[in-house]
Amino acid sequence: MDDLYLDNIDEFVNDQNKIVTYKWLSLTLGVHVNIAKQMLYHYLQQKRNESSGTPLHATYLVSGKCVENGSTCHKVSVVREDKLDAVKAKMDMTISVHVYSVQRAELKDSSPLYNTDYDTVKENLKNCNKYSAIRCAAAVSLSSAELQRAQEMALVPPVEKEISKPGLNENTSATSKPSAKQPAGIMGMFASKNASKSQESSKEVKTEQKEDSSLVETSKSKTASKANPMSNFFGKSAQKKADEKPNKSIKEEMDGSSTALATASMKQSQTSPKSEIDIKEEQSKVSNALKVESKDTRNKTKRPEVVDCDDEKMESQQKKRRRIKKPQPDSSDDEVVPDSPPVPNVHTPSPKKQVTREPVSHQEESSEVKRRKRRRVLKSNTFVDEDGAFVTEKGYVSESYSESEEEPEPNSQAKDSSSLKQSFGKRKEEKKEKSQKKTSTANKPTKQPSIMGFFKKK
Amino acid sequence: MATLTRQDLNFGQVAADILCEFLEVAIHLILYVREIYPSGIFQKRKKYNVPVQMSCHPELNQYIQDTLHCVKPLIEKNEAEKVVVVIMDKKHHPVERFVFEISQPPLLSISSETLLSHVEQLLRAMILKISVCDAVLDNNPSGCTFTVLVHTREAATRNMEKVQVIKDFPWIVADEQEVHMEEAKLIPLKTMTSDILKMQLYVEERTQKT
Repeated sequence: MDDLYLDNIDEFVNDQNKIVTYKWLSLTLGVHVNIAKQMLYHYLQQKRNESSGTPLHATYLVSGKCVENGSTCHKVSVVREDKLDAVKAKMDMTISVHVYSVQRAELKDSSPLYNTDYDTVKENLKNCNKYSAIRCAAAVSLSSAELQRAQEMALVPPVEKEISKPGLNENTSATSKPSAKQPAGIMGMFASKNASKSQESSKEVKTEQKEDSSLVETSKSKTASKANPMSNFFGKSAQKKADEKPNKSIKEEMDGSSTALATASMKQSQTSPKSEIDIKEEQSKVSNALKVESKDTRNKTKRPEVVDCDDEKMESQQKKRRRIKKPQPDSSDDEVVPDSPPVPNVHTPSPKKQVTREPVSHQEESSEVKRRKRRRVLKSNTFVDEDGAFVTEKGYVSESYSESEEEPEPNSQAKDSSSLKQSFGKRKEEKKEKSQKKTSTANKPTKQPSIMGFFKKK
Repeated sequence: MATLTRQDLNFGQVAADILCEFLEVAIHLILYVREIYPSGIFQKRKKYNVPVQMSCHPELNQYIQDTLHCVKPLIEKNEAEKVVVVIMDKKHHPVERFVFEISQPPLLSISSETLLSHVEQLLRAMILKISVCDAVLDNNPSGCTFTVLVHTREAATRNMEKVQVIKDFPWIVADEQEVHMEEAKLIPLKTMTSDILKMQLYVEERTQKT
């Protein structure tokens, strides 16, 4: 092979100040990953021998067997050059070491490593394992007919599931659902292929509801499951700006699920870098899982998919929940009557304790049938206004419960509801209301901003 | 941040929102990469689908947020020409200036569906460039501080002085000392052009830092 590649790498590293990972190099130059690794190694040798010019830094991928917490495990990690020897020494047996990346900058953390690969892999989603060393003949994309069938099947159950559980907070659902789903997901993977595939395709359906139709159209199941987390995240970031909390919890869940995967997959040794937590952090692990998905062999193909399923399903369910809830403030039904009976119980002019206890129980009921309750709440508000002060009060109180219910929901909904409530609130002028609302807000301090804004209007 | 509904899409606002979010992430990243604050206060968060380092210190975060909150109206009206993150040494002489030159294309329109993902991609590239900028910059002396300057077009600053956007967070005209840097080297980092936003990032570095 001629040495032009050395010039290429030189240009990337020195002139463009890029981080050249072996994966990026293989996709850019169109060579097998092992060749890319060798190229990087030769380049490094050459430059180091020259001992002139700008200093180069490198990271290595080390994999080997080591004993952690009493059990032997196969550890794969990306380490900086200066820590390479220390990590190698800690391992009982080093199975493979190769250059992971070459760059001029001394990286303080591993995020840029993930960042460099992200776009090239996304562009080559369909064939990102073209140059990979890991192959699985059984891993083929679903045909479009199968895909549609799976989508239709999967569409119905998740929708039902969502309607039955509307009360879950976004945050708690993000944390609880995926954690509940992880064992289910991994067990489910053992149980049936169809489930995982239908889950993936259900995400596709949900993403189709989003703007990124282009991604969905061009992708089949495997690639779709890859595209989905990305398009889900785009949709999320496009819609919901800077909402890092749910992202963070999702990320933590992804981390959690990927550690579950890693420990479960200990036995399978020759895998592409499913790096553990040395320097490359857990997000990159999951991202590797996502990216590496199509590269993985046999059982592994399902595991990353399961990870995707969990995350995507949670994501898309959250999205779906959001979408379903949005129209609610606009369309109000006329089921006022059923709501009013419980309301007087909740809301009698009474010592604070009673009121604080009531919101909790009231909340629980409404958590199950959240959407409907909310609608009724708003409606009862209007109804109530026309009648008089006390009735107005009732309407407000039930409102606040639903509002605090949906506190972790997207700001849009909170804003819709709070704007509606503010417009109703202008007509209300009871001190009692204030005191009771204060007690109800005391239960949900995080909801204060919108409710306090309500007070200030008075 | 306002939710985008089909009815009330205000493109200027959208562009300003996107830009201010990006600037927040970029400032945190600059503080991390240039070691203005110890790395212990930073934690990994996700933005544009990649990990970024953001600080956990509440006062620092509040300061940066307030700063950008005041800058946002200028960006919406396209009055902000440059947003500069200045790193100063102990004597309050600037050592480095990270300049974000911003402009909005005249025909602002959010037409294509892939626009936002395209913009994300460009912003990701910017973040990557900031992460590796320590390859082209010399090390800073210890004990550096930072500040944010905004260069506006025309006389927009007069309004800012009159109206305090955030209470107890006044903006003042910067000292000459903070604005000018002697023996400055210019190191371009990244340029991005998109339908809603044009941005150039370069670093002015003092030749002798210590």
